[in-house]
Amino acid sequence: MNAPLHSGLEHWLSAPDDSPAPDWLLERRRAARARLSARPLPHSKDEAWRYTSLKGLLEQQFTAIDEPLSALQPEDLDTILIPGFDAYRVVLVNGRFAPELSVLGELPAGARVGGLRDWLGHDPESLRGQLDATRGDSETFFALFNTAGLDDGLVVWLARGVMLDRPLELIHLSVGLDEPRVAQPRHLVHLEAGAQATLVERYVSLGESLYCTNAVMEVVLERDAVLKHERLQMESRNAFHLTGFYLVQDENSRYAGVNIGLGARWARTDLNTRFRGEHAECLLQGLYLAGDGQLLDYHLDVEHAVPNCRSEENFKGLLTGQGRAVFDGRVLVSKDAQKSDAAMSNRNLMLSEQAEIDTKPQLEIYADDVKCSHGTTVGQIEPEMLFYLRSRGIDAAQARRMLCLGFAGEIIDRLGDEAMREHVAEAVGQRLA
Amino acid sequence: MLSVKGLRANVGDKEILKGLDLEVGPGEVHAIMGPNGSGKSTLSHVLSGRDGYSVTAGSATFEGRDLLELEPEERAQLGLFLAFQYPVELPGVNNTYFLKAALNSIRKARGESELDAVSFLRLIKEKLKILHLDDSLLKRAVNAGFSGGEKKRNEIFQMALLEPKLAILDETDSGLDIDALRVVAEGVNALRSPERSMIVVTHYQRLLDYIQPDYVHVLARGRIIRSGGKELALELEQKGYGWIDAELAA
Repeated sequence: MNAPLHSGLEHWLSAPDDSPAPDWLLERRRAARARLSARPLPHSKDEAWRYTSLKGLLEQQFTAIDEPLSALQPEDLDTILIPGFDAYRVVLVNGRFAPELSVLGELPAGARVGGLRDWLGHDPESLRGQLDATRGDSETFFALFNTAGLDDGLVVWLARGVMLDRPLELIHLSVGLDEPRVAQPRHLVHLEAGAQATLVERYVSLGESLYCTNAVMEVVLERDAVLKHERLQMESRNAFHLTGFYLVQDENSRYAGVNIGLGARWARTDLNTRFRGEHAECLLQGLYLAGDGQLLDYHLDVEHAVPNCRSEENFKGLLTGQGRAVFDGRVLVSKDAQKSDAAMSNRNLMLSEQAEIDTKPQLEIYADDVKCSHGTTVGQIEPEMLFYLRSRGIDAAQARRMLCLGFAGEIIDRLGDEAMREHVAEAVGQRLA
Repeated sequence: MLSVKGLRANVGDKEILKGLDLEVGPGEVHAIMGPNGSGKSTLSHVLSGRDGYSVTAGSATFEGRDLLELEPEERAQLGLFLAFQYPVELPGVNNTYFLKAALNSIRKARGESELDAVSFLRLIKEKLKILHLDDSLLKRAVNAGFSGGEKKRNEIFQMALLEPKLAILDETDSGLDIDALRVVAEGVNALRSPERSMIVVTHYQRLLDYIQPDYVHVLARGRIIRSGGKELALELEQKGYGWIDAELAA
């Protein structure tokens, strides 16, 4: 009855039968699956996949996870938690909400946080309009896969004016299983008018196992809402990681996102943002470090659909060994989006001759009264700087590391919490050792 | 302490130092004066181990070691310090972190233990006072956005902290107004000691009003053509560098 899926991906959707899905959701899954079968696989001839091959991913023959992993104890998180980082915490293990590992305590009134699967069990109607609310026409191949396999994830819903008093940490923990598995969590975040929150999303693993994560997050910010969002992709170095992030912003809302990408052997991140109301602001910061055997691929699609909004896209990359990265950023300013202000920048530090970066910032501007800029740099450590440090007794390796951390510091410093900044700086430092 | 003999060095195919001799004993302050292009900066750079120079002949021995064999950090760990003519800005590299890394590298090389946070901070504050520098400097990135005077004071501040055996001040006076020059010179004078030697490289005699040298050398066309006491600096000031050509022609 189902049309066959693409070779290499045919086992991504052996979705569990016990999920309490309402009819409308089953129908959406079926529709997504039908569209998938009809769509060709992304190919290097597609502009969005020009530099990134799916070959390695397809070869793995990942299969969907059908059983929740119940054997984990809270102490298994000891190596994962960041000492000194105080937050509400939601833990997903292999894509499945793990209430026994999560710590939500007393959320403020009007704040609802929970697992998607549970939510669908008791209040499915509230999600009907939320699911796929953000995506417009920009639905990617792998986001469709996520919808077709939709099962669990995080839901955050803040009522009008509610402020989360502590950050909400989402730990997406992957644990290697006997065969390579794919998890496809779907996260839904909705901030009603004037609500404020900080969300820290961390992708981590126990051990260096092989698995795939294909996550989608949809975020709706109603007027005057403020979301600070930090994403730390620190997957196993053998993992594959895909993310589709979709944001819509109403009038006067503020979004500030920091993307840190250190892990995975192959990672593809699509960040899509759209202004729906005027005087909104969207800041996207990013730091990636790609070393031997790693490909980190970022695609930004920022749409100024209405006037008077401001966006800033600032991504920095460190490339070592035979690491590869792609930065493909696009800012679209529609005809009516006068007084748009957009600044895109991508700077890269190449630490080896074998590393590769493909960078392509683009502005597409159809309005005539705008302030837009973009810039790219690809450089190396300045010999002057290196000599200065060495002349003070610091050996060459440490001096290089200090300069790289200095370069990365501009982004790391945007993280809101001191413990988090230290955690990331240390992880970057270790990778450069 | 430092013994340079017959030193010849090239930049690319061009010979800049053409057989330079210099002996610096413990506690001595030597001024090296010379016109632009005489090889002053090349000498500073070759001694401190900067890339881009090839030594074709001669030797430089420091504390009994062949200086030219050593990496720049090894020279620093041995007690050599270069105050840069153009201190380099290091955006994103925090000053405190930098100073700590430098001090601990040098202490480690001397066989001393690393300083704990409290002792380190106490030491830093003490040294900041010598250079009339503000605490806020510690929170900033190294030299980033510093004024010319701040950069030069920061060099001498680092010297105070690292306590070298031999400091080379490469045109430390360039770009300083008279007040900044006085502060820098006071800092340098405060660091004079019977164990610490200095080479003060300068184009102008002005700096030597504040830092009194024991010896003055005139560097021209890659060689030291005259050496004397501090009165030689005054003679240079009066005659300018023009007489060198006459001297060399003779």
